[in-house]
Amino acid sequence: MIAYTLQRCLYVVVVVWIMSALIFGITQLLPGNVAYAILGQYATNQQIAELEQLLGLNDPWYIQYWRWFSGMLHGDFGRSVVMQRPVGPLIFEAFGRSAILAGITITLVAVIGTWLGVHSATHRGKLSDRVLTLAQYFFIAVPEFFWAILAIILFAVWLGWLPATGYTPIGQSGVGRWLAHLILPVTTLVCGLIAHVSRLTRSSMLETLRSAYILTARAKGLPRRLILRRHALPNALLPTITVLAVDVGILIGGVVVVETVFAYPGLGRLLIYAIEHRDIPLLQAGMMLVTTVYAIANLGADLLYAVVNPRIRYGRSAG
Amino acid sequence: MLVAQLQRSLWITLLAASAAIFLANGAAAESVMRIAVGTSLSTLDPARTSTGEEYIYDNLLFNGLTRMRADLSIEPELAEKWEYTEDLKSWTFHLRHGVKFHSGREMTADDVIATFQRILDPATASPPRSNYDMIDKMTAVDPYTVRFDLKYSYGGFADILSDRQVKIVPRDQVGELPTHPVGTGPFMFKSYTPGDRLVLVRNPNYWEKGQPKLDGVEERIIPEMSARIAALQAGDIDVIWDLPPEQVKTLSQNAALRVESVPTPSWDAAIMNNAIPPFNDVRVRRAFHMAVDKRDVVESVLFGQGAPTLSPIPPTHPFFSKDIPFGKADPAAARKLLAEAGHPNGIKVALVVPGGRPVRERLGVALQQLARPGGFDIEIKTVPFSQYSAEVSGKVPFYIDGYFARPTIDTALYAFYHSDGSWNVRLWHFSDKRVDEVLDKARLAGDPAAQKPLYLAFQKYIAEDDPSFIAYAVNFICAYRKSVRGVETHPMRWFDLRMAEIAP
Repeated sequence: MIAYTLQRCLYVVVVVWIMSALIFGITQLLPGNVAYAILGQYATNQQIAELEQLLGLNDPWYIQYWRWFSGMLHGDFGRSVVMQRPVGPLIFEAFGRSAILAGITITLVAVIGTWLGVHSATHRGKLSDRVLTLAQYFFIAVPEFFWAILAIILFAVWLGWLPATGYTPIGQSGVGRWLAHLILPVTTLVCGLIAHVSRLTRSSMLETLRSAYILTARAKGLPRRLILRRHALPNALLPTITVLAVDVGILIGGVVVVETVFAYPGLGRLLIYAIEHRDIPLLQAGMMLVTTVYAIANLGADLLYAVVNPRIRYGRSAG
Repeated sequence: MLVAQLQRSLWITLLAASAAIFLANGAAAESVMRIAVGTSLSTLDPARTSTGEEYIYDNLLFNGLTRMRADLSIEPELAEKWEYTEDLKSWTFHLRHGVKFHSGREMTADDVIATFQRILDPATASPPRSNYDMIDKMTAVDPYTVRFDLKYSYGGFADILSDRQVKIVPRDQVGELPTHPVGTGPFMFKSYTPGDRLVLVRNPNYWEKGQPKLDGVEERIIPEMSARIAALQAGDIDVIWDLPPEQVKTLSQNAALRVESVPTPSWDAAIMNNAIPPFNDVRVRRAFHMAVDKRDVVESVLFGQGAPTLSPIPPTHPFFSKDIPFGKADPAAARKLLAEAGHPNGIKVALVVPGGRPVRERLGVALQQLARPGGFDIEIKTVPFSQYSAEVSGKVPFYIDGYFARPTIDTALYAFYHSDGSWNVRLWHFSDKRVDEVLDKARLAGDPAAQKPLYLAFQKYIAEDDPSFIAYAVNFICAYRKSVRGVETHPMRWFDLRMAEIAP
């Protein structure tokens, strides 16, 4: 287990390092010049040339890369060219808010999604399964921004039960109001993701229940609940764990639509802002953060596999 | 059994959380006006502000030497009074005594001079810098008197000092402007979270006694228009800034809301590059004018919330020429003129529209459809607005863009239409001797009665040889909850909130 863990950690480090090179390369290829973005549209060509020299934009690319990368290791993420303030606090505050949204969402999705999937699998064909399947198809097919806006109109305007936007600072409004603001965005995200997770769990569970060892367990006369929890579920959950790890990555940096509809100041919107304004330092730092979170989430998934399926621990395949 | 226990604790937690949420009352005892805008503020340094959202903030946190009222006339602000020499080249401003910055220090002539030096410094990259290039020398005659010596006569000098970016900042706190800005205005900076909100609080030591009445102002950034409208209807925000024209009818029917639509000098246009084909030929430009009826454009793009205009002089202005008619569309004549210009089968041209600016995108599509019978085969290309200056402005043959109102007619016209104008080379590369002459003369005329015939002549010349197609002067629309009092919708798109209140 130890060897497996160390090996996985090493992979994470290598992946993050390769991604840093890719991120640096991609942002260097973007049309539009950092110096131009700093000085704005009213600058002369000479001013731009001087600033390029000052920022070291004329140095060879590997020197620029090393400067950026070693700066990051020291905690210096550069300065936002648009907002003229250090990138670090901007990124980490937005990350903190996204993390809260992501944390609550992924917990609910993991718990409710797997429970619904198991329920559907064990009650296959019955009414509850059919209703759930219909709901799942609805949430997979209909885009979030559509029914999220309907939800805002229903709950905020017509009923007046919930606020119309997704975020308010705790310090300003207190924990109660802050939670109230979070209800609609979390529900939107959860409904979208539960659909995938529960369907996946359902089919994975159905397949596991057909296997030989489950038949043996039934033949042995073990109680149904014990069969489900100790024998079927750990194996059925493997694909679910993978999807949940991917979902963590998506929730941190990719839920721009929900963040936009609910005016939630998360990392996704900050990245879009950086792209629109060609704010390269902000963009690079944001992308590195999302990559790192993704890599760590996958590390967690790998370790969870090993816990759930002992065969993986000892280096052999899962099947 | 464990599962049952877990389920029970889950339900208890949920119930407790719900109770906390619904019992927690977020209603504040103080009156804070919440204004909803669509995009984040990129900078808090007034000299570098360039968007409407940032101009709102400029006007709340800072003051200028003069101030522009809602009827576009000028009144004193930080300068109590001013005099100028006969030749309009030397202007002396007398500052108010006892105006304190939010940090406590008194504002003096040195702060004013430092502010303008900063704006004139190319390193600051201040957008309106070229509007002030007539300033030759500034002198602090005494701590409360500043004299500006100009390179050439300029009748509207006091007017341009009311502009958005030339607000007076403390000379010793310039470095903190991006993170902790300090000014002399009615509201003070509390916090700014990009993507969320800008929080301002009342300045208890504001130099105009009894103002402001509000305890605070928040600029809330809500990107999605339907979410903004829902928030206004639910009472989560008090004002929507810059309401799109298509929402006017629906929101007007809501009894709790008030919608105000005011004409402004802000204009949108289809900019034609006069230096490169096909619009370098004045016949092609004229053909386009013949092909499209401006009144149709206003109806389809603005739903009536605007008015057709010839030039940046808006229809509401006394200088507007009422003698020049807006003709009906005549596609046959347009095609004939195109044929004369060497395009017998019409013209195929790409029109660049700014992504992220819905009204202007609609303008592009409207022009594409309206101009087709006249022989113009237009292909729409969308470029994100943030890329405009790098890739589009002054470079492509045909694109849509628009400009905010300027403080004076001269600043609205000179930089655009004069062959030496700083905006001219970023736009349409237009050059006409008669126009240059009349603009130069108008600049030297101090009296509006003398300026009027010159600007009427200007409009006549433009109607004959128009560098581009100025579509309309657009209205500025805001929606308020009825509880908001004491605010006028200002045609310069900012808010004067000194007397604003929120009724309980």
